[in-house]
Amino acid sequence: MSVLAFDQVTVTARMGGRKVDVLRDISFALEQGEIIGLVGESGAGKSMIGRVISGLLPDNFSVTGGKVEFDGDNLMALGKSQRRALLGRKIAFIPQEPLSALNPVRTIGSQFGEHLRHIGIESSRRRGLMIERLKQVQLRDAEEALLRYPHELSGGQCQRVLIAMAFAGEPALVVADEPTTALDVMTQAHIVRLIAEQQGLHHTALLFITHDLRLAGHVCKSVGVMYAGDMVEFGPAAAVLKAPSHPYTKSLLAAMPALTGPRHVLPALSDHMPGLASFAGLAGCRFSPRCPVKDPSCANTRLPVRQVGTGHWVRCAEACGRADIAAASAMVSGDPAGDRASVDFENVRLSYHAARGFLGLQRSRFDAVKSATFKVREGEILGIVGESGSGKTSVGRLIVGLERPSAGTIRVNGSDQTYNVIHLTRRDTQLIFQDPQSALNPRRSVMKLLTQALEVGESYKPEQQRRPVAEALLRDTGLPPDCLDRFPSQLSGGQRQRVNIGRALGAKPNLVVADEIVSGLDVSVQAHILNCLLDLNRRRRLTMVFISHDLAVVRYLCSRILMMHAGEIVEEGATESVFANPQHPYTKALLDAVPPESADRPWPPMQ
Amino acid sequence: MSFSIPSSAAPEAAKAPSPVAEALRGAVRSPKVVIGAVIVSVMVLCALFAPQIAPNDPENQDLINMLMPPMWYADGTAQYPFGTDSLGRCILSQIIYGARVALLVGFGAAMGAMLFGTTLALLAGYFGGWVDRIISNLVDLWMSLPPVVLSLTLMVGFGTGVGNVILSIVLVDWTRFCRVVRSEVIVVARKDFVSAARLLGFGDIRIILREILPSVAPLIITLFTLQVGIGIIVEAILSFVGLSVPANVPAWGKMIAGARNYMYQAPWGIIMPILAMFVTVLGFNLLGEGLRVSLDPRLRRRTF
Repeated sequence: MSVLAFDQVTVTARMGGRKVDVLRDISFALEQGEIIGLVGESGAGKSMIGRVISGLLPDNFSVTGGKVEFDGDNLMALGKSQRRALLGRKIAFIPQEPLSALNPVRTIGSQFGEHLRHIGIESSRRRGLMIERLKQVQLRDAEEALLRYPHELSGGQCQRVLIAMAFAGEPALVVADEPTTALDVMTQAHIVRLIAEQQGLHHTALLFITHDLRLAGHVCKSVGVMYAGDMVEFGPAAAVLKAPSHPYTKSLLAAMPALTGPRHVLPALSDHMPGLASFAGLAGCRFSPRCPVKDPSCANTRLPVRQVGTGHWVRCAEACGRADIAAASAMVSGDPAGDRASVDFENVRLSYHAARGFLGLQRSRFDAVKSATFKVREGEILGIVGESGSGKTSVGRLIVGLERPSAGTIRVNGSDQTYNVIHLTRRDTQLIFQDPQSALNPRRSVMKLLTQALEVGESYKPEQQRRPVAEALLRDTGLPPDCLDRFPSQLSGGQRQRVNIGRALGAKPNLVVADEIVSGLDVSVQAHILNCLLDLNRRRRLTMVFISHDLAVVRYLCSRILMMHAGEIVEEGATESVFANPQHPYTKALLDAVPPESADRPWPPMQ
Repeated sequence: MSFSIPSSAAPEAAKAPSPVAEALRGAVRSPKVVIGAVIVSVMVLCALFAPQIAPNDPENQDLINMLMPPMWYADGTAQYPFGTDSLGRCILSQIIYGARVALLVGFGAAMGAMLFGTTLALLAGYFGGWVDRIISNLVDLWMSLPPVVLSLTLMVGFGTGVGNVILSIVLVDWTRFCRVVRSEVIVVARKDFVSAARLLGFGDIRIILREILPSVAPLIITLFTLQVGIGIIVEAILSFVGLSVPANVPAWGKMIAGARNYMYQAPWGIIMPILAMFVTVLGFNLLGEGLRVSLDPRLRRRTF
């Protein structure tokens, strides 16, 4: 008997008067001691499955078809209190945001203790059990940690606590919803290993929800790929990764830049995943409008499930399954960089001073950047890699002049810019901000955002003459022509990031600093943006500094990289040689922390 | 990751409305806004067209018909719908004319407090550092003075008159605007789009006016509406103690003061102006509260 069995489950949302199926005919079975991965981009409905299990569907959503069985009981037939009794005891969750899942005003011990009381552990045993479990998840000083508040621990440490809590009641099922998305790459590897260890130790059934197909391939026995509320492919992880059968799975894998092997131009899917509002118009395969295999019949008829291997099925037409997606073209190779230095940092330090103690009389110094010396050559794309807190964002802000260095000199295009105020002088260096939500003024239309640079200074143009400029920027960034009059809230995440890029280009910079601009995006959208940046670099000889924590993305884009760790540059060199032969232990550790393309290579690495 | 409804559903809309239009549409759908707006418009119309609407001259003393009850009482007459006061003046007409002073002071004081408080708030919130410290400490100091005592003191110093009433309310209440708007400005000023504007060569003044002010405008509109209600009450207090308008101009506070000696024989004389004030302030508060919810995208409930 399966621990968890979904049988043709359909979830319907009422939107106004209409009914929309947000999940359609979801079927899978999870056995004891097994890990199943649910993979998909944002909006695929994978978290909705977690909500069906917990019974916490949004107000106007309800399960309208099929049944969910947990340990042989029909979950839908159980009363509210019976279901609540299951949560925590029999079904546990590991959340996406560890910090917001813990109550900030209560200690770890008090929250963990309450959880143990809830699952029926008598008070005399609680403390011992907590310490034992926290030691199991390798939290240093477990006794000490019980007295700490969540903000005193790092995100990874909080996630360890939550993992310990989830497995504390020996549940039959654990649902981990993107447990590592909010964490650094290095932490991700640790956390994934811990979850797998705990799962093996307690022989729990684990449902692992993630957007990272490669990660799922390494963690899970079987993988289900979700798209717009459908499960389009399901099968053994190795089979899905090696021989994907659905065009969406193929495109998803093809759109992920690789860490090894020759570099290919990433094939990117057009458009983005449809939203709830457009589900009604997609009666058949919801992927059909974006499908590289154009078969009009799929759009209107619901296709049956087709077996392609042992336990491996796909919901797609026979012909489509055979079609080859990506005729990958090799990258234009060669180093585009010239000899002149666009940016030149010499022993640059950036310190922050914090007032401490009584009346702030004592001051403490924190060096965000300890001492940075490097050059960005004209026309190249330089990658700066590091974890959060490594100082890479500070370097970016120093380059464009949003921060002034505490020591050292910065030369931009040959002239000393160390102490210049950014107004007036530095329009030729632009920064593309990480989060377009914050970087785009919600009250400006796309037209006004793109032409913002024309409102002041030398490049001033009267309003009537701005439209052609905006239209040219739309073309450069690959945005549809009809979005000029829209506002940021009416764009998708990928489109917003394009507007963000377009606004920086509108100032006609010769150097652009891109700060983690693809980290919040889905893989297929990310491929689009990366190709757009490559194109700008090649065609316009635009110099770029690309800041990222994602090694595969950096390898795809950059000819040279800097590795930063704790405010210092620990390694510098041509991308290929750094990847092939990393020198600094930190670089090695970082490279090992990334799940490899091939499912055959064991990952996560043992400690 | 859940279904990202707003971002992915919206791009399919054919013609995109601006956020302002969207907020306005939300506002019209809110019952609080509608009820508040109706009350406020009725009061504004009364104030503007008082001579045409009022059944009698508010200052005309009908000494034969003193302390008449409202018309729905057995001995009331249709000539004085709300009855008369101790000097035989028409209560309804006085209330209608009184709306002029009330609204003039309400709007004038709110406008002044808004301009003064918001300007300082924008400077403090945007520049931070010592500018912020000076302005914030001034606000703290100012707010430690009891407001009624402060305005009474100011009135005694300035002398009576509507202009001085407005001035004294502005001097007391600008702190409210300053403190609330400042904290919002700080939030907006930290957003990346402000840094982006600096990188594009925008000067400080332009950033404040073009990037920050539009973002805090909904908050300012809301505070303004609430402040009008507060101004009306303060004006009533000051005219109650005789520090506001001259004797020949009707005002609600003066009516209450005049009727309180006869409140056992003729309670309508005191009830009617209080009711007028209550309804007007309620109208402004409903409008302000409704606008606050419908103009703030964070509070607006997404229905899909």
